[in-house]
Amino acid sequence: MSDQMTAPTRAAADTAAKPLLEVTDLQRYFPFREVQGLRMVKATVKAVDGISFTLRQGQTLGLVGESGCGKSTTARLITRLDEPTAGSVVFEGRDITHLKEHELRSIRRDVQMIFQDPYCSLNPRHTIGSILTTPLKVHGLHKGNEKRRVQELLELVGLNPEHINRYPSEFSGGQRQRIGIARALAVEPKLIIADEPVSALDVSIQAQVMNLLAKLRDELDLAFVFVAHDLGVVRHFCDQVAVMYLGKIVEYGDKKKIYEAPEHPYTQALLSAAPDINVARGIAPKERIRLVGDVPSPIDPPSGCRFRTRCWKAQDICAQVEPPLMTSVEDTTSVRAKRDRGLHLQACHFAEVKTTLVAEVPAEPAG
Amino acid sequence: MTATANGIATQSAEATSVGDVVLDVDDLSVVFPTEEGLVKAVSNLSYQARLGRTLAIVGESGSGKSVSSMAVLGLHNPKRTQITGSIKLDGIELVGAPQSTFQKIRSTKAAMVFQDPQSALHPFHKVGKQIAEAYLAHNKVSRSVAEKRAIEMLDLVGIPNPKRRALQYPHEFSGGMRQRAMIALGLVNDPKLLIADEPTTALDVTVQAQILDLVNDLQKEFGSAVILITHDLAVVAETADDIVVMYAGRGVEKGDAKEVLAQPSMPYTYGLLQSLPSHSEDLAELKAIQGSPPSLLNLPPGCSFHPRCEFKDQVPGDACWTQLPEWRPTPGLANRQLRCHLPDPVRTLQEDEGVR
Repeated sequence: MSDQMTAPTRAAADTAAKPLLEVTDLQRYFPFREVQGLRMVKATVKAVDGISFTLRQGQTLGLVGESGCGKSTTARLITRLDEPTAGSVVFEGRDITHLKEHELRSIRRDVQMIFQDPYCSLNPRHTIGSILTTPLKVHGLHKGNEKRRVQELLELVGLNPEHINRYPSEFSGGQRQRIGIARALAVEPKLIIADEPVSALDVSIQAQVMNLLAKLRDELDLAFVFVAHDLGVVRHFCDQVAVMYLGKIVEYGDKKKIYEAPEHPYTQALLSAAPDINVARGIAPKERIRLVGDVPSPIDPPSGCRFRTRCWKAQDICAQVEPPLMTSVEDTTSVRAKRDRGLHLQACHFAEVKTTLVAEVPAEPAG
Repeated sequence: MTATANGIATQSAEATSVGDVVLDVDDLSVVFPTEEGLVKAVSNLSYQARLGRTLAIVGESGSGKSVSSMAVLGLHNPKRTQITGSIKLDGIELVGAPQSTFQKIRSTKAAMVFQDPQSALHPFHKVGKQIAEAYLAHNKVSRSVAEKRAIEMLDLVGIPNPKRRALQYPHEFSGGMRQRAMIALGLVNDPKLLIADEPTTALDVTVQAQILDLVNDLQKEFGSAVILITHDLAVVAETADDIVVMYAGRGVEKGDAKEVLAQPSMPYTYGLLQSLPSHSEDLAELKAIQGSPPSLLNLPPGCSFHPRCEFKDQVPGDACWTQLPEWRPTPGLANRQLRCHLPDPVRTLQEDEGVR
């Protein structure tokens, strides 16, 4: 079950198929009133500000970035738990951007979500059986056979099917996350949005849940949008990665390229800031980048390139012109066409490849 | 401030130079009696923190890493906690000591930086005032001197425009800035020991890097001892000198931080490292430790880790089930101690790594 084998075949099959999910220029502004002195002033938080991506069946897209970059809002917009201000979300050729609540039911079956905190996302007063039966009843699936389906699901995620009458409080964090995964899988979705699914778990449990997700993805041919701040987890799990900063995608491309030869300064800084366990083995990265300061407020993001206030390459042009998402390679086709062909995209006026940020681990002898 | 007044015994000489032991924790146990029984949060834990060095206490949630450090500062409710063993901070015995002793040593000898600066700073008071108050509590100076000191401290931890910032409230600070203010608050009385409890867990990676650099720089400047409590092994690799790995309330392996992470000798440490999705390597499947940590109400007999250990059948007899392993030097590794029954742990783990 090696990833290297499945990834290319998956990708090859996909180019012919039409995309599962198309997100175009997605925006979400949150208006609010603020007291300034004695006056009330209207302001907006630009949580997500024009992002686009495409996802095909079986593909996994990772959204990474720091808190406040809009990655969770994006997840909520795709699942339509929240309505976009502008832009469009097209799922299997159907525009779901502004569907009404009752029209969303069919989408809810195909798009499911796994939440971060397994303590808050399960109702403490419901048994596991009832938590897992509810989605089946709502969608009228496995009528009369619900109990058997629930036991199947529990087995699928590695829990004891006899525990069907227990309450969430009787399970550990890792087990609860498995219940959350079973609930998402109950209605046989095509796309799963996972919002930080392992960040509340301990390292040893995290690995168990990651393995489970990878197994399910391969067995059930699921597409994933995987939101996480942990770069290691994203590298392990995803095919494509989109790096976000202040509501925008600053770099997008194949996982290997993003991690080994990032082009955007923010991606480079992010990779460089993550502490590396290999330092213990005496293998340190050749170069370190340390950013100064914090992420600016999304209420009033910097003009031009949003990263310029923390960027060491920033020049006058960065404040005036917002760099578009583009390839470093000569190419005249549209942004969408480039993305579809798997080209690497970045949004920087002075992009250059850096390969010195991650420690080079000598290849382990085959064994 | 010297703490010799009020009959506090100074049993050994105070630590003054780099490498001297500031904190000596010996056979510490912390037990919480509850309705369901005794929760053994920490059992027989021993470690030492030395001036100028960073000691990392590593473990998963519920392993007792925070509970043991809170005992150092007397932050447990004495009515609901049974603490036994010995904690010697700069020669002062703290187990069984009265609250007045703790009030004297807090901030002057040992200070703590908490995980969540949002809840650790008082939301109603200005940041500068909070720091000045900590200084006033232990020094006979005027308020204006203390306030000046607070501004100095804010400047020291890299807060731009400290004069203006000192007059702001915690909610006006960003997460990283708040954690810097926490550190300033911790260091205002120049303690010999700084306990940082998951100081960067609530922060973003780029800010985490800044804060870790700051703690390292300040330690070099002040030469104090730092105890870093964390679950993040990569952070340990980059910052710590020494390490204690904890599992279910017990220390299971200790030694030089980099050496332990490069070549673990206890199956739990090894399992933790194996389960990391290291972002420098691509693996098809992560190697997880099976099962989950035991309940502290009902610890398994023998070695607490044995229900999850995949090497237990390599131990002759049933020692893993029946006998609690004692601390012993790891065979074949200098400067390393572990609690494990494996006859030759280093070779066993190396062979396992080769097989995969």
